[in-house]
Amino acid sequence: MGLTRRDWLRAAGALGAAGLAGCTGTGGPDGGGRRTAAPGTGDTTATATPGTPPPTADRSLYLGHAVDHVDENLVSGGVPKDGIPSIDDPTFAAAGETPVADGDPVFGVARNGEAKAYPQYILVHHEIVNDTVGGDPVAVTYCPLTGTAQGFERGETTFGVSGRLVNSNLTMYDRGTDTWWPQVLATGVRGPLRGETLEEFRVVWTTWKQWRSAHPDTQVLTEDTGYTRRYGDDPYGDYNPRAGYYDDGRTLFSPLVTDDRAHPKRVVLGTRTTEGALTFDEPTLLDERVLTGDVAGTEYVAVADAALSTGYVYANPDGLTVTAEDGGYRVDGGTHAADALPLDRSLAFDGMWFAWAGFYPGVGYVR
Amino acid sequence: MSGELSSDGAGVTDRLGALLARTQVAVRGALSRRDGRATLATATVVYLALYLFGLGHLGLGPWGWELSVVADPLARATRVVGPFQWEPVALVVAGPVELLLSPLNVALGTGLAALVGVNLAVSVVAYRGPRACRLGAGAGATAGLPALLSGVACCGPTVLLVVGLQASATVLTVFQWLLPGAVVALVATLLWVGTKVDPAAV
Repeated sequence: MGLTRRDWLRAAGALGAAGLAGCTGTGGPDGGGRRTAAPGTGDTTATATPGTPPPTADRSLYLGHAVDHVDENLVSGGVPKDGIPSIDDPTFAAAGETPVADGDPVFGVARNGEAKAYPQYILVHHEIVNDTVGGDPVAVTYCPLTGTAQGFERGETTFGVSGRLVNSNLTMYDRGTDTWWPQVLATGVRGPLRGETLEEFRVVWTTWKQWRSAHPDTQVLTEDTGYTRRYGDDPYGDYNPRAGYYDDGRTLFSPLVTDDRAHPKRVVLGTRTTEGALTFDEPTLLDERVLTGDVAGTEYVAVADAALSTGYVYANPDGLTVTAEDGGYRVDGGTHAADALPLDRSLAFDGMWFAWAGFYPGVGYVR
Repeated sequence: MSGELSSDGAGVTDRLGALLARTQVAVRGALSRRDGRATLATATVVYLALYLFGLGHLGLGPWGWELSVVADPLARATRVVGPFQWEPVALVVAGPVELLLSPLNVALGTGLAALVGVNLAVSVVAYRGPRACRLGAGAGATAGLPALLSGVACCGPTVLLVVGLQASATVLTVFQWLLPGAVVALVATLLWVGTKVDPAAV
């Protein structure tokens, strides 16, 4: 098994102080963390072109509050802009060369034949990774306080942590236009691109063991981030097993709206469309495998992916029957994998109940 | 009028000078004794450790030996990551102990710890040797209060999770002022001790 950067550094420390300067961080030796060459680019280093906006979508997403209201409720998270530093020069190791425990959460991205895992214990200290996956420049983002991991196309710019929160949610800024983007809303609320919607892609919240089983060739983000942190120390709590902030009934900041239909930290799989938003209770979905709800009169069906302990949501305007069976789901006479039903998929992601309820007052909750 | 102002200004300066002189006497007196020096050393080390622990820069981790430094540490050392918090430039792992080294935070923490240590040293000596100063046991508690205050300040909003308080703009603003407030309180406490010292008895 290869050495991780941390193993390498510890060995180096034991040998003495020789090579002390520059032995970590950007430009340091690889150690065990192997720099991954992105197809067509030769590097994963993310650079931002001043003035260049991130790609935005043609359609807008439903917002449960007016943009003005969201803007007015941006609060300081207690750190300045970039006080939490994004990772702009990520390095990766092979699956067998990481200290990540089997049950630890990772955020998985599979794109254009390339699979990458971003461990939660690293992202809790950075929240944003500006990376290149499958040849595409992307940002993989994580908000510890709302339990949301989301992916965004970044084009020629990069995203940073603004230091502001709304509804406890990470508010990103893009380094091209300095527009502020609450992560869950994926919508600009302050700056030149106010009201615009970011292009998103699915990030799967799962465990390292499950992701590695599904994607044996995956690469995994290393601690060689260019910053030095006590990466084993999560300031908010623990996910393996769940404890601290991630488990208790309190929120650190006041939600935009409080909804007691579920425990504030209950994990729900949510989706939002142009017309509205909808959430599915994730433990119930994993148990029952198929749940249905509706957004503005259109049926949406959620199906479970037991291999990754996650789910996918599809628009089902014709009300086709979706049933679980061995090996997948029966739809319209055929059997399909959870992530490949012959329906229009609606981007969905995990999040804490209070976050979805706060952003989308009165949101449908299927359980 | 200007003469009056000048006269008043000179009076204030004289009084401040006398106060500083008395405080200096008190501090020297305290540090001339073994128990005063021991209190200063112990309080400084313990408080610095608590301060770094509160920042999350000191704690326990997996066993190992490691010394790593970021690239371009001089530039990184001045990067602000929070109110009175700067970017760590090195990680030291010694057995189970992990220490992130942020030079400016170590300097600030050492300054705070020394102030706490001097306060406690003077108070302890005054309590144990009442002939030197006219201080009671209350001085020690008074000196300890701002120390605790600054200890909370260094933890930032994370401490709210521990005490179960919800963050708000007001709370976060208060947090930003806790550390300078604690410094002022510590200096004020030390000067107050100076007013209580009887130079003739030292």
